[in-house]
Amino acid sequence: MRLRNHNNDHIDQSESLSFIFNNRSYKGYKGDTLASALIANDVLFFARSFKYGRKRGLMGSGVEEPNALVSLEIGGRYTPNLKATEVMLYDGLSAVSSSNPNSIDFRAIIKPLHRFMPAGFYYKTFIKQKVWALVEDSLRSLSGFSKAPTEKDEDVYDHIFHHAEVLIVGGGVAGITAALEVLNNSKTTRVVLVDERAHLGGELFNEFKSDDSAISWHRGSINKLLEFKNEANSRLKLLSRSTAYAWYDHNYIEVLQTNATGESLFAGSTQGARKVLHKIRAKEVILATGAHERPMLFETNDLANTMLSQSVRRYLNEFGVISGKNVILYGNNDSIYSTAIDIKSNEINCKVIDVRASGNESEIVLKAIKSGIEVLQGYAVLKAHGTNLVKGIEISKVEMQGKKWMLIGSSKRLNCDLLASSGGFNPVVHLDCHCGAKTFFDDDSQAFLPQKERKNRQVCGSVSAIGFWKDAVIDAKNKAQLTLVSLGEVKKAQQGVMSENYLDYFNASQFFMPIEILNRPKVFIDMQNDVTTLDVALAIREGYRSIEHIKRYTAMGFGTDQGKTGNINGIAVAAEFLDVPLSEVGTTTFRPAYTGVDFGAMAGREVGGFFDPQRYTAIHDSHIDSGAEFEVVGQWYRPWYYPKSGEDMHQAVNRECLAVRTSLGMMDASTLGKIDVQGGDAREFLSRVYTNAWMKLAPGSCRYGLMCNEKGMIIDDGVSTCINDNHFIMTTTTGGAASVYTTLEMWLQTEWDDLDVHLSSVTDQFATVAVVGPNARNLMKVLCQDVDFERDNFKFMQWRPGTVCGVDARIMRISFSGELAYEINVEANYGRYIWDEVALAGKQWNITPYGTESMHVLRAEKGYIIVGQDTDGSMTPMDVNMNWILAKDKPFSYIGRRSFSISALNSKDRFQLVGLLTKDEGVVLPEGSHIINNNRSSIGYITSSYYSPILGRSIAMAQLKGGLSKMSETVLVKIVQEKQGLKEIPCEVSSSVFYDIQGEKVDGND
Amino acid sequence: MFLIDCPYCKESRDQNEFSPAGEAFIARPQNPEELSDDEWADYVFYRTNHKGDHWEQWVHTNGCRKYFLVKRSTISHEILEVAAFGEVTSENKS
Repeated sequence: MRLRNHNNDHIDQSESLSFIFNNRSYKGYKGDTLASALIANDVLFFARSFKYGRKRGLMGSGVEEPNALVSLEIGGRYTPNLKATEVMLYDGLSAVSSSNPNSIDFRAIIKPLHRFMPAGFYYKTFIKQKVWALVEDSLRSLSGFSKAPTEKDEDVYDHIFHHAEVLIVGGGVAGITAALEVLNNSKTTRVVLVDERAHLGGELFNEFKSDDSAISWHRGSINKLLEFKNEANSRLKLLSRSTAYAWYDHNYIEVLQTNATGESLFAGSTQGARKVLHKIRAKEVILATGAHERPMLFETNDLANTMLSQSVRRYLNEFGVISGKNVILYGNNDSIYSTAIDIKSNEINCKVIDVRASGNESEIVLKAIKSGIEVLQGYAVLKAHGTNLVKGIEISKVEMQGKKWMLIGSSKRLNCDLLASSGGFNPVVHLDCHCGAKTFFDDDSQAFLPQKERKNRQVCGSVSAIGFWKDAVIDAKNKAQLTLVSLGEVKKAQQGVMSENYLDYFNASQFFMPIEILNRPKVFIDMQNDVTTLDVALAIREGYRSIEHIKRYTAMGFGTDQGKTGNINGIAVAAEFLDVPLSEVGTTTFRPAYTGVDFGAMAGREVGGFFDPQRYTAIHDSHIDSGAEFEVVGQWYRPWYYPKSGEDMHQAVNRECLAVRTSLGMMDASTLGKIDVQGGDAREFLSRVYTNAWMKLAPGSCRYGLMCNEKGMIIDDGVSTCINDNHFIMTTTTGGAASVYTTLEMWLQTEWDDLDVHLSSVTDQFATVAVVGPNARNLMKVLCQDVDFERDNFKFMQWRPGTVCGVDARIMRISFSGELAYEINVEANYGRYIWDEVALAGKQWNITPYGTESMHVLRAEKGYIIVGQDTDGSMTPMDVNMNWILAKDKPFSYIGRRSFSISALNSKDRFQLVGLLTKDEGVVLPEGSHIINNNRSSIGYITSSYYSPILGRSIAMAQLKGGLSKMSETVLVKIVQEKQGLKEIPCEVSSSVFYDIQGEKVDGND
Repeated sequence: MFLIDCPYCKESRDQNEFSPAGEAFIARPQNPEELSDDEWADYVFYRTNHKGDHWEQWVHTNGCRKYFLVKRSTISHEILEVAAFGEVTSENKS
């Protein structure tokens, strides 16, 4: 319910908002979260739990919330598994529980069986019995999370980079103070202040609402911050509704900001980004991340309306809502008293149950008693009563005997409709630990605190167990001074002295873990994953000792809340069962991300056409005009095939291949990587990085080269052209251009700085048109008059400078198809012109443009390898039957050579490249299919497979164990055929050269 | 995500401009053919995988394309020193 006449800063009661939750309409106000608006509407059940399907209500009020998971909107704006406590209300919002608490649920029906389903149940029952595959789908559909989105995200996300001297994480008392202290004491320091809530101030407004000095401090500080923010050339950036979720090396922190109001962007407006990922690099970081409250443990502590004390108070003070009229507060520290006082001041019934015995009461306890609140000291809650919703509790007297809490006497029952507890506070150390900083257990505060000293980082406020706001102010000033010293802005740090802690949140809050309570059933530690104290006990009985193992056995601390309320309690429970101190158990590892991050936010604008750079050749528009289909090869958009109307890919490729073999084809070969190699030692350099000889390659000639790494494995191949003794142009594979260039630079810079060699990448500077087929020479004679194309004067693997259609060109006679072929290289800007001129002049021979698919068929017919397809980084030149390319007498031991003599690389049993011919000529083997032996285990796989139009049958290349000594043998290839299932196809092992075995076609017909 | 001072560009730049290029001061043997298989394998495959301060090679891939030397703590990832090739060698390294 919402309290009338409740004044607060956070809710604007003049603006009413409509929203839908689980198909019912409600109203809330501007400033509400989905959670607070639902409390105002008396909605108590938010979702069902993950494993047992138990109906659950709210527990927290922020990121710590484990239960209230909802999905927001539908279609392209659908977002799964948000915490209702984090969703700001906007008009027209529509949300659905991750697992509907109001519908019939199979998991809830089998409630009597839950006691037989402890941690490890699914593994032992299904996975270990090897029936998981049969039940996985149905079990997963039962689980309690939202469905994954199925549609494309309609929203826009942005990335923003920030560079700051000081980043402050947390906008509570400590964070605000630190920001002001830095800004006040320096003229130049830039500050970014990040806070996850909509309003700065953290818990101050909630916790000290009745403390006028706190409220006026808050107002004054916010005003000062705003003055700094509104200055011209402001040094302050305020990021609210922003969560610092990851801290990476060198003070690089990522922050996810959610649209501040939520109101415009979700509801149809498309202006701006829905979420922004801020990437912040800071010289100094001040952590003022605060602390999370943890609940007390008792039986059925998961009933709806069993909440955290601080959350109840926050809903009351910030939103004016509360979900009960008869409240019991239960805890082991003073935090529950300030909640009680605030509840009482709103004329709502409340009682306090404190496990601490009477005597030594602090000021606030006395104040509560004085105000007429009934306080039971030295009592513990054993159990919450009620079905689904809390109706009452069972309590008993407790006493510390030795070092153990013991229950005394008989129990009695009290009624309530809202139970709020506080078991102490867990400092939010997560972010600090992302880069390897450690926590330590501090006996004084009974908390895991951040590592004391860390370079370029300070911590202040309740993350270092400082509970009272005035102390937090002093602490934050001190730490800001140290930061200023580290930045060199201040010579000597001024250090204030803190008062005696007057609130007992940390110091005396023992972990209250009586074994009699822990041994009860349904004492939930991790609400989201339904982990109970008995699950932890079971894990220990099964032999797990490390908290990391206990976590993984029980699933404690996984899930969307990452155990923010449950983890430390779980550690304390484990310590109790293991009978060791908490400090000895330690924490699990904190890793990014602290809260969930949308994939959309990670991608930012790098989606769709911006996902990856797209590279086009100079001839691209012509390919589009010709109706080409494209394939992406290392970012290049290459024509795949050129279908004529009515043709499918198979028909188009057959036509293209036959045109090349019988008359004339043309191809855009501009994408091949090209590296310009110049210098007095260029020849020596090529000879070191390629396996074959280069010293005698004459100007005017080209040569194919195979490049290996030191391990002896093929990494690239291509043709290099000798322009003159000091100048070569190396071509690389299309996809390998960048990595080959980097590798060559590495040799030159790190090993061979004595060589006079300079490299430039010139891939984009040239356009290349390949003219291929028996009529290629005839065409070239038409296109170019200043070169002698006669076969004996311009031989295979030679190049000539010439003028093609008026354009300076380098013409190489090289072939990747086995046919007579010329590659015309021109300055890239002439590419389109030359392509069109070639097409025009070639008409009389029915010149046919062909794409990468036909290129692959043509090269496979000749057995030419494609590095990266027929090799995979574990293939030597010997493995692909290319021993002929290994120079024997080069004086320099070229890259990879020494490895060729290692025994493992000479084993007869290695994968070796062979050809495969199916007995049934019509069957084209799918690439990747395995070759199997008599025992049905794999002895190789298909690397290339096509239908060869010129041969009228299928051909394949394969990596086969010991393949080169298996010529003419029959092997079986296992394939999956549509509708027919698995089939074994008999094939004959052959040479990988299938067509023109003597190599007679390369000179053409005349 | 490291912040690396490129010794050639003289600027502190984000890690995504750079690529790691392995342990530093592993010289290619002058006479590979005379080495035993074990000695050759030591050069090709074996690395110290040192825990602590470690010299390694980086290349400013999306910048000046220069290779250089970085001394980095493999524990804290703090970068303690950067140097151009030749400035620091396996003999005079700290």
